[in-house]
Amino acid sequence: MTTTIDRKTATEAAEAIRIQDAGKQYENGTLALSNIHLSVHEGEFVSLVGPSGCGKSTLLRIMAGLDQATSGKVQIQSEQASFVFQEANLMPWRTVVANVALPLEISGVSAAERKQRALAALEKVGLTAHADSYPRQLSGGMKMRVSIARALVSEPKLLFMDEPFGALDEMTRHRLHEELLNIWMNSNLTIVFVTHSVFEAVYLSGRVVAMEAHPGTIKQIIPIEESYPRTNAFMTSPQFGEKVREITNTLT
Amino acid sequence: MIQANGQVSKAVVTARAQEGTSSPVRKKKNRSLLYKTITPIAFIIILIGLWQLGVRVFETPKYLLPAPSDIWKATLKGFPDLMQAAGNTFIAALFGFLLSVVLGTAVALLMMASKWIRWGIQPYAVVLQTIPVVAIAPLVVIWLGPGMNSIVFISLIVAIFPIISNTNLGLSSTDRNLMQLMQMYKSSTWTMTWKLRFPYALPYMLGGMKISSGMAVIGAIIGEFVAGIGGGKGGLGMAITSAAVQMQTSFLFACTIAASLLGMAFYLTVAAISHYSLRHWHESAIRSDNE
Repeated sequence: MTTTIDRKTATEAAEAIRIQDAGKQYENGTLALSNIHLSVHEGEFVSLVGPSGCGKSTLLRIMAGLDQATSGKVQIQSEQASFVFQEANLMPWRTVVANVALPLEISGVSAAERKQRALAALEKVGLTAHADSYPRQLSGGMKMRVSIARALVSEPKLLFMDEPFGALDEMTRHRLHEELLNIWMNSNLTIVFVTHSVFEAVYLSGRVVAMEAHPGTIKQIIPIEESYPRTNAFMTSPQFGEKVREITNTLT
Repeated sequence: MIQANGQVSKAVVTARAQEGTSSPVRKKKNRSLLYKTITPIAFIIILIGLWQLGVRVFETPKYLLPAPSDIWKATLKGFPDLMQAAGNTFIAALFGFLLSVVLGTAVALLMMASKWIRWGIQPYAVVLQTIPVVAIAPLVVIWLGPGMNSIVFISLIVAIFPIISNTNLGLSSTDRNLMQLMQMYKSSTWTMTWKLRFPYALPYMLGGMKISSGMAVIGAIIGEFVAGIGGGKGGLGMAITSAAVQMQTSFLFACTIAASLLGMAFYLTVAAISHYSLRHWHESAIRSDNE
């Protein structure tokens, strides 16, 4: 597959995000982020990890344009970005397919095309059978899948995810990891993923950005060389443990 | 129920489904429903019986306290008048209610759109609530003249406050994350209002409408007290006034009962609409389904 070749040469690919010396200071004087330098390449899967208060979510929100840096330079190559929040954030009065179609509805896509594209997005997360259900009828994992489908329906170049699997049980989370990697490998998505789980970051990412708090800074960027697709065997391999230990040591 | 992520939970679902059809549980549920219906009916029958008995035993004069049988006779005798009066009140209350929904929602939307309007209007919306309507009703009659216009207007004044206040509350409690999500997709203010804030506020609005529906009927009757005109166009308010003046106490009771039945019909209609429009997603509608 050409996609796997692209992943290997990701470092030579064009930059999707370039952040130079960015900082964020709140009005009360608290320095949330300082001296941030980070480049994310097209098609990369990058995770931000760190203790709470290290500004990883703030950094993500700045990249997504939901928040502004107070100093430095943040350049985003593509306007086509989607965001997946910690909670699924579905509209309870809309069916699953209507929730997924929301971004298309906002941008004025015709009803027929909306439905078709929403169903296609639902197929990617394996929820076609629940298209006409209401969110309250779904489990937590299914709601998150709908949320991901909604993020994918606008065919974004960039996908920002803020601890999307934090509230899910271990089994569901792992299944969603595999689904997400599958979706990513079959597209040219660039994903920036915030998590507090080092295991999650190592399993998913090509690079892990380790951050520390007070003020929020990048301590180290650790590449994960393991090739995709990654299997369960990777999770129990010595390399995996090595990377987890390296990052954990960096963080503490 | 559709949490079937695997075989185990599927088994739970089927087990639950069987539980639903198994006879002892359902019988028990039906029986409690039966008791719930029968108890209030029995209660009112006993009360009416005691009333009838008391009036006969103590030989209370009819103009002071008529027996239930007298009220029944008066109802049958004055039935065409009663229906006509109730019909007039119904029309006035309906217009008052609909206008209060339209205007109240519009005011709440304006208050959402601009903080200046919100700051400007909010205190007076409260003042509107505290003004004794009976006191300003004659003023309304001076401005709009006696008849339907004044009656509808008074009904509107009485019914509009819960609409403004509840819609305002609903519109200002929109989920922040969803708003950010829509902002990310560059949603216009109009789209945001129509597709997010409005549906989010709907349960609140319907709650306000439930309260307003009964109040619109009361407002219409107050309006008819003050602005009602004779010749069978005065509605229940007028019928009550004239019955009181003529000491037709039995008919007065009949009018009062008709007024409360009208209010109840209004309320139940709005409650049914509310339940229907929220049935798929709002806790209030779902919970009452399971009871």
